[in-house]
Amino acid sequence: MSRALRVGIGAAVALAALALPHALTVPYFLHLTILACIWTVLAQGQNLVQGFSGYVSIAAGGFMAIGAYASALLSVKGGWPVWTSMALAPFVAAALALVVGYPSLRVKGHYFAIVTLAYNLVIVTVLNNYESFTGGEAGMPNIQRPAALVLGGLQLSFAGREGYYYLVLLAAAAATAGGALVLHSRVGRVLIAIRQNEMVVDALGVAAWRYKLFAFVASGFLAGLAGALYAHFIGFLNPEPFGTDQSMNAILAVTLGGSGTLLGPIVGAFLVVTLPEYLRVADTYRLVVYGLLLVLATIFMPRGIVPMVSRGFRGMATRLAAALRPRPDPTP
Amino acid sequence: MITEVLQQVLNGLAIGSVYTLIAVGLTIVFGILGIAHFAHGSAAMSGGYLTFILTERLGLGFFPAMAVALIAGAALGVVLERLAYRPVRDAPQINAFIIALGLTMILEGGNLLLFGPDQVVIPTPYQRVYTVGGLVVAELRIQVMLTAALAVAAMAIFVSRTRAGRSIRAVAQNRQAAVLMGVNADAVATMVFALSSALGVIGGALVGALLAIAPGVGEGLVVKGFAVLILGGLGSIPGAIVGGLVLGVSEALAAGFISSAYKDVIAFLVMIGVLLVRPEGLLGKR
Repeated sequence: MSRALRVGIGAAVALAALALPHALTVPYFLHLTILACIWTVLAQGQNLVQGFSGYVSIAAGGFMAIGAYASALLSVKGGWPVWTSMALAPFVAAALALVVGYPSLRVKGHYFAIVTLAYNLVIVTVLNNYESFTGGEAGMPNIQRPAALVLGGLQLSFAGREGYYYLVLLAAAAATAGGALVLHSRVGRVLIAIRQNEMVVDALGVAAWRYKLFAFVASGFLAGLAGALYAHFIGFLNPEPFGTDQSMNAILAVTLGGSGTLLGPIVGAFLVVTLPEYLRVADTYRLVVYGLLLVLATIFMPRGIVPMVSRGFRGMATRLAAALRPRPDPTP
Repeated sequence: MITEVLQQVLNGLAIGSVYTLIAVGLTIVFGILGIAHFAHGSAAMSGGYLTFILTERLGLGFFPAMAVALIAGAALGVVLERLAYRPVRDAPQINAFIIALGLTMILEGGNLLLFGPDQVVIPTPYQRVYTVGGLVVAELRIQVMLTAALAVAAMAIFVSRTRAGRSIRAVAQNRQAAVLMGVNADAVATMVFALSSALGVIGGALVGALLAIAPGVGEGLVVKGFAVLILGGLGSIPGAIVGGLVLGVSEALAAGFISSAYKDVIAFLVMIGVLLVRPEGLLGKR
């Protein structure tokens, strides 16, 4: 695709995203879009580890919980301003990711996946049982939305859905931009090399574990940010939405959308948020259908939707160009 | 105090022998085919539910019901391998793992649809309780340990003494060389999944008799199974046996003397501790 076309498409998408609250007449659709933006932040984080370095972490839900609870506890129990708590929460999640990532990155492949899954289970167990602090299963109510901002006489309110939408849109865009920065840097190239052949990376004298740890901590940070955004949007927290199901949702979003691509997690996040809504008609079959989708997608489009569609477009463009080219005159 | 400790150790050995069964099933699939069969616990639960239905609705005895469920479970394992894992055999390992997560969702959803959301306990006639020198010994716990020991021994004999077992060992040692020697690797994969799922179903039925079966139990069990693998070392059957018993006993001691709400946390901390000190596992080779 030419550069001008890319910029044009990008600008059109950005305009559409900005105008969206005015186009959506059903408030519930805006609600879903907000959730999808939050899940985009989560999926971009998951993509750093799963898509770039090829390690499957099943702890996204757990780190999301850490971010959500950190922000909620700081603002509700600590009495801190919501903005400060929301800004600090991702760092809390990242700090935990640093501490637990170091030992677990000593193991590879499936072992790493299982260890991270254990972290997720530990986090949910502690949140459920440490009732005096977290409210346990009964949860924590009355989590406030962030206060209105005044920028040069313009008042920005986040109390309504519309205002909050712009906040999560900004977060999703920032997470995607962060992913792009990493992907096009030396770090991203090393991570992809680790995915392709970790032994070669080590043999070249590159300390692979540092890069893996960076990806894991950065993904913890983004999961924490997603958690904080979620907590202050929903206004109520209990450990239930942060179980291993949520971590699997993050994996599903990355896998379905296109692991290792920048647009994939966005497409995947919108799919995992909206698909269950469509499947709600058959709520009892939801889990089965969901699992089937995951299995079929892995077998038949192992690289995800975004690479498949872009390859399709490229194929079409080549064919179109070939068709438009003036044919050589067959008669001599 | 010493009686209390012994009592907890005994209780831990009973649940530990279930962990061992699950872990041995996981470790043979992992060691021989390189697949982290995450749906193993949910498949085991399907077998447990089937055992429950057969005893409760059809009035079969516990062991005959388990035998029927075992055959059904082995068939399920073979189907999963054929339809889901075989197509991604040559793809990167991460694909098989994502397939495993998908299968877990399908099986958990299927169990929910077929057997409902209620917790069930498989009824058994082994309800006697003996007292030996201050220790309370439930007959059911003894039965669980014996069944698990028998099942693991039967599998070990099959793998070490039969011709089919020899082909399994050959593929485990060197897949390509085995194929060149005329071993049918596809048949080995089928056999390994049948064996592993059969062991899993025994584990599921024993959990159903000892504790209860409910949605989510299978996932918890498979995570414990993998924790055992990490404790014992990848692909090692002795490691799975020792690891399972160690995990069961440490969990029971933690529940008895520290906190029953945090017993899972303690089990995972043990696992993470082992990883830090011996990443290859207790009995694993470097």
